[in-house]
Amino acid sequence: MGPPKRFKKDNDRGKWKKRKEDPEEYNDDDTLDDNETEGIPDAAKNDVEKQDDTALEDEFGAKDYRAQMVLKPDCVLRPLWVAPNGHIFLESFSPVYKHAHDFLIAISEPVCRPEHIHEYKLTAYSLYAAVSVGLQTHDIIEYLKRLSKTTVPDGIIEFIKLCTLSYGKVKLVLKHNKYFVESPYPEVLQKLLKDPVIQECRLKNTVEDEIITNIQNKTKAPQFGAKAVTNVPTGVTKVTETNDQVPAEAAAVPEDITTFYDKMDKEDEDEEEEQELKTVSFEVNQEKIEIIQKRCIELEYPLLAEYDFRNDTVNPDINIDLKPSAVLRPYQEKSLRKMFGNGRARSGVIVLPCGAGKSLVGVTACCTVRKRALVLCNSGVSVEQWKQQFKMWSTADDSMICRFTSEAKDKPMGCGILITTYSMITHTQKRSWEAEQTMRWLQEQEWGIMVLDVFHDLTSIMCLEVHTIPAKMFRRVLTIVQSHCKLGLTATLLREDDKIADLNFLIGPKLYEANWLELQKRGFIARVQCAEVWCPMTPEFYREYLGCKMSKKLLLYVMNPNKFRCCQYLIRYHERRGDKTIVFSDNVFALKHYAIKMNKPYIYGPTSQSERIQILQNFKFNTKVNTIFVSKVADTSFDLPEANVLIQISSHGGSRRQEAQRLGRILRAKKGAIAEEYNAFFYTLVSQDTMEMNYSRKRQRFLVNQGYAYKVITKLAGMEEVRIAYCHLSEDSEPDLMYTSREEQGHLLQQVLSASDMDADEERIPGEGPRPFVTYFTSLGLSFQIIRKAGNMTSMSGADDAVYYEYKKAPSSSTANKHPLFKKFRA
Amino acid sequence: MKQFLLHLDETFALGRKFIIQDLDERHLFISADILDILQSKVDDLMDQISFPLAEKGI
Amino acid sequence: MSNTISGKNLLRPTGLQCKNLQEYLKSRPPEVLNKLYHNPPICLAVFRELPVIAKHYVMRLLFVEQPVPQAVIASWCSKLHFEEHQKVVLILNELNVWKEASIPGGLPGWILNTTFKKNLKIVLLGGGKPWTMSNQLEIDSKPRDVAFLDSYALERWECVLHYMVGSQQQEGISADAVRILLHAGLMKRDEADGSPVITQAGFQFLLLETALQVWYFILQYLDTIEARGLDLVECLTFLFQLNFSTLGKDYSTEGMSEGLLTFLQHLREFGLVYQRKRKAGRFYPTRLALNIATGQNKPLSRDPEKEGYIVVETNYRVYAYTNSNLQVALLGLFCEMLYRFPNLVVSILTRDSVRQALKSGITAAQIVGYLQQHAHSKMIEAGPPILPPTIVDQIKLWENERNRFIFSEGVLYSQFLSQTDFEVLRDHALSTGVLIWQSERKRTMVVTKAGHDDVKKFWKRYSKGSS
Repeated sequence: MGPPKRFKKDNDRGKWKKRKEDPEEYNDDDTLDDNETEGIPDAAKNDVEKQDDTALEDEFGAKDYRAQMVLKPDCVLRPLWVAPNGHIFLESFSPVYKHAHDFLIAISEPVCRPEHIHEYKLTAYSLYAAVSVGLQTHDIIEYLKRLSKTTVPDGIIEFIKLCTLSYGKVKLVLKHNKYFVESPYPEVLQKLLKDPVIQECRLKNTVEDEIITNIQNKTKAPQFGAKAVTNVPTGVTKVTETNDQVPAEAAAVPEDITTFYDKMDKEDEDEEEEQELKTVSFEVNQEKIEIIQKRCIELEYPLLAEYDFRNDTVNPDINIDLKPSAVLRPYQEKSLRKMFGNGRARSGVIVLPCGAGKSLVGVTACCTVRKRALVLCNSGVSVEQWKQQFKMWSTADDSMICRFTSEAKDKPMGCGILITTYSMITHTQKRSWEAEQTMRWLQEQEWGIMVLDVFHDLTSIMCLEVHTIPAKMFRRVLTIVQSHCKLGLTATLLREDDKIADLNFLIGPKLYEANWLELQKRGFIARVQCAEVWCPMTPEFYREYLGCKMSKKLLLYVMNPNKFRCCQYLIRYHERRGDKTIVFSDNVFALKHYAIKMNKPYIYGPTSQSERIQILQNFKFNTKVNTIFVSKVADTSFDLPEANVLIQISSHGGSRRQEAQRLGRILRAKKGAIAEEYNAFFYTLVSQDTMEMNYSRKRQRFLVNQGYAYKVITKLAGMEEVRIAYCHLSEDSEPDLMYTSREEQGHLLQQVLSASDMDADEERIPGEGPRPFVTYFTSLGLSFQIIRKAGNMTSMSGADDAVYYEYKKAPSSSTANKHPLFKKFRA
Repeated sequence: MKQFLLHLDETFALGRKFIIQDLDERHLFISADILDILQSKVDDLMDQISFPLAEKGI
Repeated sequence: MSNTISGKNLLRPTGLQCKNLQEYLKSRPPEVLNKLYHNPPICLAVFRELPVIAKHYVMRLLFVEQPVPQAVIASWCSKLHFEEHQKVVLILNELNVWKEASIPGGLPGWILNTTFKKNLKIVLLGGGKPWTMSNQLEIDSKPRDVAFLDSYALERWECVLHYMVGSQQQEGISADAVRILLHAGLMKRDEADGSPVITQAGFQFLLLETALQVWYFILQYLDTIEARGLDLVECLTFLFQLNFSTLGKDYSTEGMSEGLLTFLQHLREFGLVYQRKRKAGRFYPTRLALNIATGQNKPLSRDPEKEGYIVVETNYRVYAYTNSNLQVALLGLFCEMLYRFPNLVVSILTRDSVRQALKSGITAAQIVGYLQQHAHSKMIEAGPPILPPTIVDQIKLWENERNRFIFSEGVLYSQFLSQTDFEVLRDHALSTGVLIWQSERKRTMVVTKAGHDDVKKFWKRYSKGSS
């Protein structure tokens, strides 16, 4: 009998793929429109993804690549598959995983890295990054071929060639305070010089019209933190990756992979030898740097910025070194190796999860360059933080560090490190005389290194306040201040974001991106249990929810009495465990209601600096204050003290970035809790059957791809018992969950219904006018002065900041970062 | 969830009233012929509040 | 959320019912059973599948020639386990292993079925005619080893499965096999062009373990056996002989009737036996046949190439190390397929794809079971749990999401004139088990549709009587 008719997938299969997007969705990170494609090379706009539009679908709806590749006989030994659309799948359990991982992270973007099989994607940007850290077109293709279980599709090879051949060939080098365009390829330089615009930019003070030929001396590869490191007993600093080597397992690994890996690994370190090659260069008119950069991009030869800091005799060295106690973790070292791999400082972005020690990477970079350093961050509080970090990890003292914020204005002259905020630099209104002076000085300096801290935060700040986009903002910063190299530090580089793509060319390519799951497994960041707690809507609330307009819906699902009780239950549960809990609410109405009702301190936009500090100090040191409520301002405006439990009761919209950032609040690895499966908890409370479920899922996407799993909790064990106990025992039982009775719930509903539309909004504009006195501390027997202060735009951004001190001991001591209470419970 | 049916009934979302009697907190007596449309309405609601967690590659 | 009300759920698809050996035999008429009990292997198979208590009873009665009072037998079992005793009694009755007989004096008693007793004794103690199959054969010049038989069996069996999913990667199957699939409701004729297409039951069938599939399929086949002019008892007997044969041994076809030889050819097609040629004169039973009567419990041991091939990730990705269209098709039942490499399939579990499967009658448990059963060795190493718990939960949540309401069909009675009237009618409905819902305060009740007529009649009688 012949084949029967294939069973039909229902006709609405098409519907699967094209889901109707909800028109009213909040999209904090996906929908920012940005038509600025200017200044991006054409090749970078290439999308290999489109290359397989024509790929045949098999009978089951998959893109069938089988005809385009041949399986190798020893495919079991090789770790990856390369799809014609640029997606790469890597077995994490392969004996050559290590080799492949290092390579893939250099040439492609990670899409998702859960437990067993990781997905990466080749993009024009990622290949650009690969070239700029020194990989060659031929090597990329060759190694990819060797690692692949199958033959590599021709289209991919073409794509790699297209994207890498012209990239990274020409560098913009600042040497002896003069700008040079430099290349090891004379023909490329000749080609550029034929362009009239570039001719214009060329500085022709030299008599002859010749190209300068340069043979560079071989120099030793740098040690991070220069001298200081050598003072340290080797046992301490040698935290280098021992698993980097390929010892016993090498037998199972095809030889062509190991040999190639060794070769590439060497290249990474001893690139100096290549530097002995002849390079040709011409000098560029300093005023026309911007023009030549743009023109070169248009000509498909983007200029890579590299800083030969050791041969810079014009700018004075600053006397700063790493302290012996500063020990780099393997991934921190690896990321820095990418930056300083060839003995010069490359500009670029390093992506590390929150809590994984970004600041040490920044400090080490500054100590390696040892030239004047400029650190840019989001808020005044972050400025203080950075200062502390410098003092903790490096030999820099107060005299070397200058803070430039609206409140702290240290004398800049003679300082080696200047720390400021983005808004201070891009400020367009009139400044004080003093600030004006500092600005001028700042602009006159030739900075050795510029560290840009967690710049993704800017997306949210900027949209709210300046109504501009980060790319534009960076461009502005970068035209105001001159720096030899730029280092971006961030936790989340969301790839589909075009703005980030711009940053590729403004700051530099991504140099390194850590694997969250791996760091978690190795104990560098906390092991977090993520949970989505489903709270059924009470019938009354759900009824209103169904019938009301959008803005009111939000308030109804946030104020759902069942959610309130869940929250109360969780807080109590964790307080009993001796945990420190931060509750996030983007909605101010809910924030205040929850906090006041539960008698917990809260911080939101209008909360004054001094009160913030009071609350945060209490949270840190007072054993009676174990839970605080914070609004969205906590995301960006100040650094939260350590906590190990985070509860979100209202999270507006579906921002993946915000979700990742909030998770970061509890990621700092907790010591001494190894025995427990999880040592930190991240709860999101959602009202069942409402749109909140949709948003919640949307927010989780990024973390899910990092290998996090959200446990759905539909029932909190123990919660119902509490309620029953309450009903039966009434009076003298311990105070129990609120909003249990119908009457209480009805009353709450009335309050919600009479709330204004403004209340339903997330916190956008800081409240103005007098606020009610805060009374929650009185019951705890604490007193502090309450300062009324009208909030303004800058207080939101943290530009006007009070000093916020962070008392942090070096993490080398085992009791550091641990609350006395934790010790008690964790002993 | 019962509230959802009441809402559909009140707003004539299915073109007509279909609840014959509201029995108690958890039970409704409805006309049998509305069943299919009703189920599809519930599906719609679920569609709306769900979001594809898994990305098919960016 | 609606409460559970008894009564069938109107919208839920019915699951695939797979009878076990006992259930199958129970549904045969007593004459057939009696005929079957003439064959020692069947008696053995039946005996082996009995509950432990039942086995005890049978052993104790095996050499007793008179009926034994029921009360005596009941006393063999502790009062604490009276319920189990009752169950066992029922099973033995239904299987016709024993029957009621009154004891002089009128006491009810039980006596073992004579045929069953005689042949069970033969199996247990020997004697009588040899009941195993003959292997009085010259040594096979090309003997087949177990590995060969295993791969042959699976290959044959997968042909049937391939056919069902309509995969193009297949050799056809016989018209006879297609008829069985149609008869079993695993496939149906397409309304438009009459070609067979897979049904909801078929989908569920595909997700079963192989041994269960074979057993289910054979049961369906047995249903059609008489229509083929074959003798059910003869075929069943042969099937049970196979059940007790030895793997890797060859047996002779000598002395087999024409009908049995036809039956053998069918078994050959499905991979239950291997024959080099149709008229080879010998055959090898395969593992599929060996497991047949006990298909419930004992999974087919896999050959190394059939090791777990599915990797499920916490981000809903499902990777399958396979190039088999059948395996891809099965995954395709509940996953959305993305890419196909020569030895890997990349797919993803989405709400839509899982719902699609749920709609076609596949349950969340079946999906999870399938993923678990075929999990890649790396998943097993990393476990337990083998599958990411969040994924398992989510699949179940997607299923629950579809069952937020329970619908039961019923008729509403209200506006009773007095509380007594209401209570009388309610109590009647309650006692006959047709009451779905009631409220004294509202004097309202709902009874099942099936119970409506009876309740109505009762009401008429009652109102006449009281007026």
